Amino acid sequence: MTWILVIIGIFRFAAPVAFAAIGETISEKSGLINIGIEGIMMMAAFTAALVSEVTGSPWLGLAAGAGGGLVMGDIQSGFVIRLAADQIVVGMGLNLLGIGLSRTLYRIRWGGADAIVQVPELPDFGGWADPVVLTLPFVAWGAHWLIFKSRWGLAARAAGEYPEAAESAGFSVQMIRFKAHLLGALLAGVGGAYLSLGISGSFSEELTAGRGFVAIALVTFGRWKPMGVLGAALLIGAAEQLQFWLQGLGLGVPHQLFGALPYVLALAVLAASVQRTRAPQALAQPYIKVK
Amino acid sequence: MKEALLVLAAGAGLALLLVLTLAAFGQDVGTSLRLLADGAFGDKYGIGRTAVRACPLILCALGLTVAWRAGMYNIGGEGQYLTGAVAGGFIYQVVSGVGPVVFHVVGLLGAAAAGAGLAWFAGWLEVKRGVQVVISTILMNFIVLKLVEWLVRGPLQEPNGLLPTSERLSREMMLARPDPQTDFHIGIWVVPIAILATWFWLYRTRAGFLNRAVGENQHAVRAAGQKPAHLRLRAMMISGALCGLAGGIDYMGWAGQISDGFSQEWGFIAIPVALLGALNPFGVAAAGVYFAALFAGSKELERFSQLDSSVVLVVQAAAVLGIVWAASWMKNRQQGGSE
Amino acid sequence: MSRSSPILEARGVSRSFGAIQALDSIDVQIMPGEVHAVLGENGAGKSTLMNIFGGFLAPESGDVLVDSVPAPSGSPRAMRKLGVALVHQHFMLVPEFTVAENLALDQMSDLVGSLEMAEPLDKARRQAGDLGWEIDFDAMTRQLRVGEQQRVEILKALCTEAKIIILDEPTAVLSKDEISEFVRIVRALRDSGKTIVLIAHKLSEVFAMADYVTVLRGGRIVHSGPIGEQTDESLAQAMVGDPPALAQRSLVEAAGVLLRADEIEVKGDRGNLAVRSASLEVRSGEILGLGGVDGNGQIELGEALAGIRPASGVIERPKQIAYLPQDRHKDGLVLSMPLWENLLIGQLDSDLFAFGVLKRSAALHWAADVMDEYEVKAESVHAPARSLSGGNQQKVLAGRTLSQHPGVIIAVNPTRGLDVRAAAFVHDRLLQARQDGAAVLLISTDWDELAALADRTLFMSRGKLQQELLGDGK
Repeated sequence: MTWILVIIGIFRFAAPVAFAAIGETISEKSGLINIGIEGIMMMAAFTAALVSEVTGSPWLGLAAGAGGGLVMGDIQSGFVIRLAADQIVVGMGLNLLGIGLSRTLYRIRWGGADAIVQVPELPDFGGWADPVVLTLPFVAWGAHWLIFKSRWGLAARAAGEYPEAAESAGFSVQMIRFKAHLLGALLAGVGGAYLSLGISGSFSEELTAGRGFVAIALVTFGRWKPMGVLGAALLIGAAEQLQFWLQGLGLGVPHQLFGALPYVLALAVLAASVQRTRAPQALAQPYIKVK
Repeated sequence: MKEALLVLAAGAGLALLLVLTLAAFGQDVGTSLRLLADGAFGDKYGIGRTAVRACPLILCALGLTVAWRAGMYNIGGEGQYLTGAVAGGFIYQVVSGVGPVVFHVVGLLGAAAAGAGLAWFAGWLEVKRGVQVVISTILMNFIVLKLVEWLVRGPLQEPNGLLPTSERLSREMMLARPDPQTDFHIGIWVVPIAILATWFWLYRTRAGFLNRAVGENQHAVRAAGQKPAHLRLRAMMISGALCGLAGGIDYMGWAGQISDGFSQEWGFIAIPVALLGALNPFGVAAAGVYFAALFAGSKELERFSQLDSSVVLVVQAAAVLGIVWAASWMKNRQQGGSE
Repeated sequence: MSRSSPILEARGVSRSFGAIQALDSIDVQIMPGEVHAVLGENGAGKSTLMNIFGGFLAPESGDVLVDSVPAPSGSPRAMRKLGVALVHQHFMLVPEFTVAENLALDQMSDLVGSLEMAEPLDKARRQAGDLGWEIDFDAMTRQLRVGEQQRVEILKALCTEAKIIILDEPTAVLSKDEISEFVRIVRALRDSGKTIVLIAHKLSEVFAMADYVTVLRGGRIVHSGPIGEQTDESLAQAMVGDPPALAQRSLVEAAGVLLRADEIEVKGDRGNLAVRSASLEVRSGEILGLGGVDGNGQIELGEALAGIRPASGVIERPKQIAYLPQDRHKDGLVLSMPLWENLLIGQLDSDLFAFGVLKRSAALHWAADVMDEYEVKAESVHAPARSLSGGNQQKVLAGRTLSQHPGVIIAVNPTRGLDVRAAAFVHDRLLQARQDGAAVLLISTDWDELAALADRTLFMSRGKLQQELLGDGK
């Protein structure tokens, strides 16, 4: 009984970063690295909270959050795909945009900097888990199917490994990457919206707390496989749970150190394994088509 | 001549972006600009505020410039900055009895070394283990942040053990302030030296030349008999040293103690400063002063409107994306259709 | 002209890149069932024409016609539907895919639905069986040998039921044995009714395979006709125009050994053993040629001898070695940096630096001198390397490595991709260095180049140095 609650708790904590990281996996597989996830999540969390408060419907809020993610992703794709600009530079620009815009709008809308705004939350099924977190395993499985079992996935992987080959087989690398990128931004948007509507039921300036960056690291940690990425996210979620649990026990164990544990773990696993699993060869390289 | 025009255009562009951003948020542009200017340069307090903010921004951005120029996407300025401050805190515990001069010298050297060490480790992970610096430095930022949270409640906590903060430096142990009423302290003089030194190193020395070359084409550098891995590790160490130094200076000159909120994301905000400075030390200096002024001025804005320093991030974002757009546009025009 | 109606035709096709007119109003007719060779020097416009035929580039003016019907331009997909398949010089295979995945990728008509491997694989198996090829469809593509990868490329073309197969410099990457096998494949394809367009710049292969030949020079067609009416001389004359004087080798007495390797072993980028117990000596005043097909360890050996790749065993060499890498853009130049800084990369230990500090004005003067001496055509020493033509870029590299009169020179395919004149310039400089007493190791896949320049030639295969071919003693 309690262990089911623990597992659901882990899933809930893992969900925002897991959605974002699964989206990032799809994007990176096609050759695009999106460093701007943090900004996308922040903006999505804000729009979700705003719409949820205004309409009173967390579902509309969720849709707005996902839509906010899409809009951010669309802006980004104009730079990294159409202009073929440096993906890391543009991603950092997007982070600043999302963080700055959401904080400023939040102040304009709700006033003070330290105000924590309560908004209507997503409902739980029988007090167990809300529907969004329940979709998480299916989203991971769907991403796995899309990347490894679908025709589009084969072309997307080709675009990420050797774009010229995808182009020569008659597929537009730019279009493939555009779709992969938008899908990634959409999932990051869902993750951001879930932060405000699913977990906290509120919005504050530090809501994402770097989860967007963690998501990027998780993709490498999970070896560019959606199931692996989900597993990595759950591990982080579990560590977060453990941290609260230890804090509650009051054993005098410095819980901040446990807070660092997931990141230390991720770094150690990367250092031990990354050479055996190679990143997509064309990752972060803009593709310029000569007409 | 052409370059002067470009700089002028960039300056005008930045000013325009500020105006547009303020207008977009429905602010009275004239009033807001006056508040910003007053807060940043209106009096000696304003100038001091701007200077202490320009210091970490420019030092971190110079550090990032060196790394990015070598093709190492160091995102870890934040962690390296914090590490430098923490090193200063520990050194204080050891040498506080010896007197301020020893503390300042040893503390700043230690801060730079600690930052360099952390950045070196990230670089080592990339060149030896294949973990990209982008990824590892992001993770390290979080690790250091959590460690600081623990340290200020543990080994670094003030002697009474009550508050989550390190012991507050006495006025004697802080870097001297010529005018105690303002924030300005002598540590800020490191900044112009660092700007000149970084420029000289990049453009007038063999090491700096190779640093730039390895970022543009590591294969060519290798074929010339150099070791790209060594060059990149060195770039990371210099990068970390500058970021760590910034943390040490802020600890000794501005904050005087380390707590959870010690970092105001300077190491992170320095990334757009480095980019907007076109990864050139003088450009970095200009961009650093501009944004330091906006951050300082936004303190004044905060008092009289709903806006705060967050709005500066929006201006930064617009500027970064604007520059990217302008650069692509010029590149396309130059190549006239490319090959 | 009693030729029937063409299956593939270019009519008045022009295309330029920036200021360079790559194709200038070209008319070509490809007849069904023939092997049509398109011959030309590097930069003559062959690849541009092929990419236009394949739909990868759109012409600025003119039309491409398939079966006398104008084809939509700039669409690879449309050209494939019309039965035109292009086998690129750089294979369009994803190295990290299995052979089967590469074949499936190429045969997908759209991107909807789940991935079906069985059907494309069956088709490929049948085609491979018809040709008598044994192919491991589950192997990682990057693990195949170059000749095998080429077969996969041809399989791809056959699986899309191409009528016209365009092969872009197909023999450039093959060994001598693989080339004779390739000639048989081309004939078999023609006999099965395919039309073949063959891009080439080697006369002997054109005579061995082609029925009809078209010669391009400077973006125009300068000559065409049935192969039976051609001679070596007529084709060479058409390709090159007035040929520059051939490199003259004077008699030089080889003297002491300047570069010596004894039983060295070198690892490749993937940790494989790229060079197995190689021993060689290069004397002052000689050019030692090192031949072999790409990827047999020559580059690794050259890098080890130059001291930029670790090796086990004994290497004796002077401190200063000039290394001329093969890939100008990858290993040679920093394209975004100005010319003078590109020259500086070769002078890191020179007196242009004092205690690690650059003497800027001295460096600029020196760079200007090298530009003059090596006839580099550029706006100024401040022009970015990117803005130079390929030949001028190679002159920059040559100037950088040779201007210090180094004792030992290691050059890897130094004329690859250069036109005849620029190649002759580089050859001249290498011979000049030999005359001045340098020991030169010339690593090249071009046998003609080795025959023209080398005093002795070694041959490398699968990491082993093979027999020493005696110099022809010209």
